[in-house]
Amino acid sequence: MAGFFSLLRRLYLSVYNWAVFIGWAQVLFLAIRTLRESGHQHVYNAVEKPLQLAQTAAVLEILHSLVGLVRSPISATLPQIGSRLYVLWPILHSFPEVRTHFFVSSLVISWSITEIIRYSFFGTKEALGAAPSWLMWLRYSTFLLLYPTGISSEVGLIYLALPYIKKSEKYCVRMPNTWNFSFDNFYAAILVLGIYVPGSPHMYTYMLGQRKKALSKSKRD
Amino acid sequence: MKVTVVSRSGRELIKGGLELHDSATVADLQEAIHRRTKKYYPSRQRLTLPILPGSKERPVVLNYKKSLKDYSDGNSDNLTIVFKDLGPQVSYQILFFCEYLGPLVLYPVFYYFPVYKYFGYKEERVIHPVQTYALYYWCFHYFKRIMETFFVHRFSHATSPLSNVFRNCAYYWTFGCYIAYYVNHPLYTPVSDLLMKIGFGFGLLCQVSNLYCHLILKNLRSPDGSGGYQIPRGFLFNIVTCANYTTEIYQWLGFNIATQTVAGYVFLVVATGIMTNWALAKHRRLKKLFDGKDGRPKYPRRWVILPPFL
Repeated sequence: MAGFFSLLRRLYLSVYNWAVFIGWAQVLFLAIRTLRESGHQHVYNAVEKPLQLAQTAAVLEILHSLVGLVRSPISATLPQIGSRLYVLWPILHSFPEVRTHFFVSSLVISWSITEIIRYSFFGTKEALGAAPSWLMWLRYSTFLLLYPTGISSEVGLIYLALPYIKKSEKYCVRMPNTWNFSFDNFYAAILVLGIYVPGSPHMYTYMLGQRKKALSKSKRD
Repeated sequence: MKVTVVSRSGRELIKGGLELHDSATVADLQEAIHRRTKKYYPSRQRLTLPILPGSKERPVVLNYKKSLKDYSDGNSDNLTIVFKDLGPQVSYQILFFCEYLGPLVLYPVFYYFPVYKYFGYKEERVIHPVQTYALYYWCFHYFKRIMETFFVHRFSHATSPLSNVFRNCAYYWTFGCYIAYYVNHPLYTPVSDLLMKIGFGFGLLCQVSNLYCHLILKNLRSPDGSGGYQIPRGFLFNIVTCANYTTEIYQWLGFNIATQTVAGYVFLVVATGIMTNWALAKHRRLKKLFDGKDGRPKYPRRWVILPPFL
């Protein structure tokens, strides 16, 4: 029975990882083609649907971590996926004014390369039991460059959206109401930017630790 | 008896070891370490017996009241102790006092001072009766907690790491301000008079019960904090293991029924989550400790924290 469940788990995770992999590959392909053919202003429109689908599917990863299907702790997956979803929906989807900026291109390329490597790494690991060492090296090395570019693009896009967020009042809730609640999207965005200040170096050092652990282990084996 | 003190990596902490007389206690050893290192006062020290390399067992932590002989297999003249620095420590009284002083002082600031003009509202505001009662209720609650800290609680550990002060204060102070901002807001919408009375009445009842629970828990331990874990009995403890948390949670529910803010309910949910974790751990520990075998009493069937759900 336990064998059956572990087989089912591996089958499910293989399918999940490779499906999301395809989504990200499509995003990268469309982004590069649009960049070459028509310029960075059109990248968002070209990648919108697959980008939204692939990135939102990552919510399942939080679930996997919660139910213990994968080993990565929720404290690591939640901030990573949460910040991505924040840029994707409350910023890019809600404020079309920032979609034509070059930051969208650097964002989409940083995200998609990272995810293509990550999902193929985990996909191979689940399907075959182990991943080739070069893929492992890529998985734990590309972030050295792609984390800074990705995070700068995220922060840049939130910053660029600030004047539009302030002007539009979108998603804002004002007093008075029976539940004595208010929400100001502008201050929420400022708060998110504030979290990036300690959050980014924290996640970067976390990944450096993971890199050291994973690569030294593979050398030993 | 010669005691060798090593760090967890095996390095000798005190060159040449320490010479202690045969009847020395663990506390004497801690004092001796403190005298030699200056920096590591006793509550910063975690002393354990060495474990065999590769062993998965948890190391035995030395109890400061016991004699060193109890750990040296009787006849041995040499003892090796593993030392770990726990970092700067503060007493639990100081920690709790700092946590509770923030909400006690900050909440009235929102009630008495014209803070809302800095948020872009007109200076004059009409104060609803519920806002005044909420102020009294809130301040009574945190005053009670500070008094309990100094005169009721008996702590099983004397100190806590200094970093906890910053973390816990951030939690209590921010939530205190967040709730105070909405309850004292110039555009605040009160609930009906009846609901307010029900909320505050129920909440006060829970606060008094909470004090009674704390008195029961206090009497389970001797004045120096020892006595280990006992089966709590009497009053609500006959129904639920952590009746002190139950009353604390329902007390906040009463406050929220009367004041009705999303901020207050968010705090209620977060606090319930934290206390539920503690309660589950305590319930598990008591059930393991009192398993009904070898003459030990069996832990009775009880709710953990939130009857009739958990």
